[in-house]
Amino acid sequence: MSTPILTIRGARRRYNADTPALQGADLELQSGTITALLGPSGSGKSTLLRAIAGLEPLDAGEIICGAQSWNGNGPAVPPEKRRVGMVFQDYALFPHLNAIANVAFGLNGSDKKKRALAQLEAAELGHKANAYPHELSGGEQQRVALARALAPNPAIVLLDEPFSGLDRRLRSELRARTIASLKAAGATALIVTHDAEEAMAVADQLALMGGGRIIQTGTPDDVWMNPASAAAARLLGDVDVFTGKVANGQVSTPLGDVPAPDFKPGQLVDVLVRPAAISVIPADDGAYALTECRSTGAELAMTLKAADGSHWRASTPAPCDLRTGDSVNIKLNQTFVTVTNSAG
Amino acid sequence: MAVTGTAAPRAAQKGFNATSLAVVAALICAAPILVVAWIALTGDTGDYLAHLAQTRLPTYLTHSAYVAGVAALGTGLLGTSLGWLIARTQFPGREFLGWVLILPLAVPAYVAAYAWLDLSTAGGPLYTATNGLFPTIRGSWGAGLMFSLVLYPYVYLLARDAFASQSADVYDAARTLGSAPWHAFMHTALPMARPAIAAGLALVMMESLADYGTVSHLGAPTLSIGLVRAWSGAGSLVDAARLSLVLVVVALFIFGLERAQRRRARSVTGSGKTRPPQRFVLGGWKGIAALLFCLLPLALGMFIPLGRLAYLALSEPSTTDLLDASLNSLTLAITAAIIAAALGLSTAYALRSKGIIATMSARAAGLGYAVPGAVAAVGVIAILSGTQQILDPIWRDLTGAVFPILLTGGAAALIFAYLSRFAAAAIGPAESALSRVTPALDGAARTLGATPLQTARLVHWPLIVGGLTSAGLLVFVEVLKELPATMILRPFNYDTLAVIAHSYAADERLGEAAMPSILITLVALLPMVFVARYLSSRSAGGQDR
Repeated sequence: MSTPILTIRGARRRYNADTPALQGADLELQSGTITALLGPSGSGKSTLLRAIAGLEPLDAGEIICGAQSWNGNGPAVPPEKRRVGMVFQDYALFPHLNAIANVAFGLNGSDKKKRALAQLEAAELGHKANAYPHELSGGEQQRVALARALAPNPAIVLLDEPFSGLDRRLRSELRARTIASLKAAGATALIVTHDAEEAMAVADQLALMGGGRIIQTGTPDDVWMNPASAAAARLLGDVDVFTGKVANGQVSTPLGDVPAPDFKPGQLVDVLVRPAAISVIPADDGAYALTECRSTGAELAMTLKAADGSHWRASTPAPCDLRTGDSVNIKLNQTFVTVTNSAG
Repeated sequence: MAVTGTAAPRAAQKGFNATSLAVVAALICAAPILVVAWIALTGDTGDYLAHLAQTRLPTYLTHSAYVAGVAALGTGLLGTSLGWLIARTQFPGREFLGWVLILPLAVPAYVAAYAWLDLSTAGGPLYTATNGLFPTIRGSWGAGLMFSLVLYPYVYLLARDAFASQSADVYDAARTLGSAPWHAFMHTALPMARPAIAAGLALVMMESLADYGTVSHLGAPTLSIGLVRAWSGAGSLVDAARLSLVLVVVALFIFGLERAQRRRARSVTGSGKTRPPQRFVLGGWKGIAALLFCLLPLALGMFIPLGRLAYLALSEPSTTDLLDASLNSLTLAITAAIIAAALGLSTAYALRSKGIIATMSARAAGLGYAVPGAVAAVGVIAILSGTQQILDPIWRDLTGAVFPILLTGGAAALIFAYLSRFAAAAIGPAESALSRVTPALDGAARTLGATPLQTARLVHWPLIVGGLTSAGLLVFVEVLKELPATMILRPFNYDTLAVIAHSYAADERLGEAAMPSILITLVALLPMVFVARYLSSRSAGGQDR
């Protein structure tokens, strides 16, 4: 990849003694790409975003944009000098300004009204230019907020849970629109979300966050197929974990042996099994019992119990004539199984 | 996420230190009470107080309780029913009445008392017309009644907003569980609004305890009467301070109640998603009845008193020159309003930083709310004479001359007393105005290229100017109406409209008292219209610009 437009190294931020928000986060943003920052609540996502914008000071670490150090050596560059556009979770539209004045806020020059209107028209909101924020629907407010952030042509656009206030249907529509606008502007964007599906849908690059650190980065496919840890795997979807020791280049699990060629014998590892890895074969004297069987429409979601009493989730395309209580055998698809160092 | 940080507001304050101004506000508000308490607890026990405790103190306490009780009952009934009608029903004129019902706050209770006593006294028009059947409005119940007529807006405002912000779901849940409409109201809407109503009642009781003009005109010997007598009659600072302390303790108790109820009010109503209730449409005679019911307090509290006083002023043309007094009143009120608004805004900014000193200062300044004007005046006198005693010998040693007498500091001393009582009234509105400027708005402005100063000018100022103006105007109205502190502290030959009205009314020269009374009310009404419309636009639409 080319040189990153933004580099964050060892970012630390602590609000009070008990809850450090950032504990040494590292991240790089590539020019023109959309990166999704995915993590559970309280993992430090919003703090990292605010630190990039310059709204939150860092206790340690540095943020470098191109050749310029924003945090690190000398005083921090103030937010107004960073050329960063930000879409806030509650949009933060100025309630005393109408839509066009909101968009024009970050613009200068005599033609700023014209440019603001053009930006609004690109968001198909030209007819609402004179409406005040409280007169706009939630989706319209989001579009004005994005138009406002993009209008000054920022180097980087930060979006903090930009779709969280919207209902499901509107969400996917606005998500597509937002991505299209960002791509059309050629923007480098960082989108914070706690929704794995959303992150996979919008991102060129995925950054997983947990406990104030970036725990894995990569393309969505790569991260999904090769999670670096159980925590990373759980962020992206259902996964069951077996912890065991490596012997003879493999791990014995209740689902059968899993190859672990890259690990030393005796090493403690986590075996991460996605529900899709388990194919269920009906058998009268099978080794596994179905303890739960539920249709989600397109799929059948099952839980099965192994001989040692452990429970595993499996899924298979519906329809399927399996029932709770049936006994089954399984086939393990190793593509959806990953072995990682155990967290302990 | 819960990490809406504090960097932006902190940066926005660069250049002026809000916390130090908040500390100044706290000192101004709290110093008089502290000094009063110190003198009361350490000074020699004079004969007057011993005598007082045996004879008058029980009377003062009983009458204070009586007056405050009647006022609470009257404002509670009026304010709650008006608040419900405006918030939850629809009838002709409702929107207009929504803010007009706040206006009687501009009428000083003593002005209402002058007019009503004159109307109902033996030989007065009401007495004559009803052959003496109409009771003469006087004594403690009469004073309580007058407070009910002009102070009910406190309860009305809080009750109205509480009813309006309630979710309909709770009421509907009660209906589906088998409650009839009235039962559902009594068991859901009313209990949910109760903390707000109680907070309003506490304000009313504090105001009626602080009053001097009404109770002295109607002959209700309350604590503040005793206090003014101890100072201007017996001339004893220690005794005045002791009575002040009793009054402050009672007021602080009610004040604590008010704060606790307000916290509860927030917890009861502020539950995020609420479905606004549908208004009951009152058609036909019901609508007319509602309209008449709303007009009643306006007539009794505002139009009838003003009408009677206007009649008196016209039938016995006044010979008093009111120009100087009017200028004095305006100067005091405007100065106090501007300083109070500035202190309120600084305190609100300081609070935003969430620093410990700022928070404690704001709380201390808030105590001023509970300080009756007479107590603030006694405190200011004590501070001035204490300073004098310290400075006199030093000055004499240095210059050989006599130190100028501080007690004649005059207008400045008056402003000090007004601020210690009313600055607190500006902090709350300033805080709520500034709460509209969320940290995210700061962040948005900064990331769009605005410097901290530009953010303050382009985002903060437009959003807070309405609330701040209304806070300043409220202080203006209060200072214009203020009587006891002015009487105690005013320099010799320095009159305000309120003092002139009171002196003539005390001499039973109501024709002369009428004109200054009308002037006070009319001058107070103009800013009150702005305040009332501001408060109503914010609660009705939730938005303004």
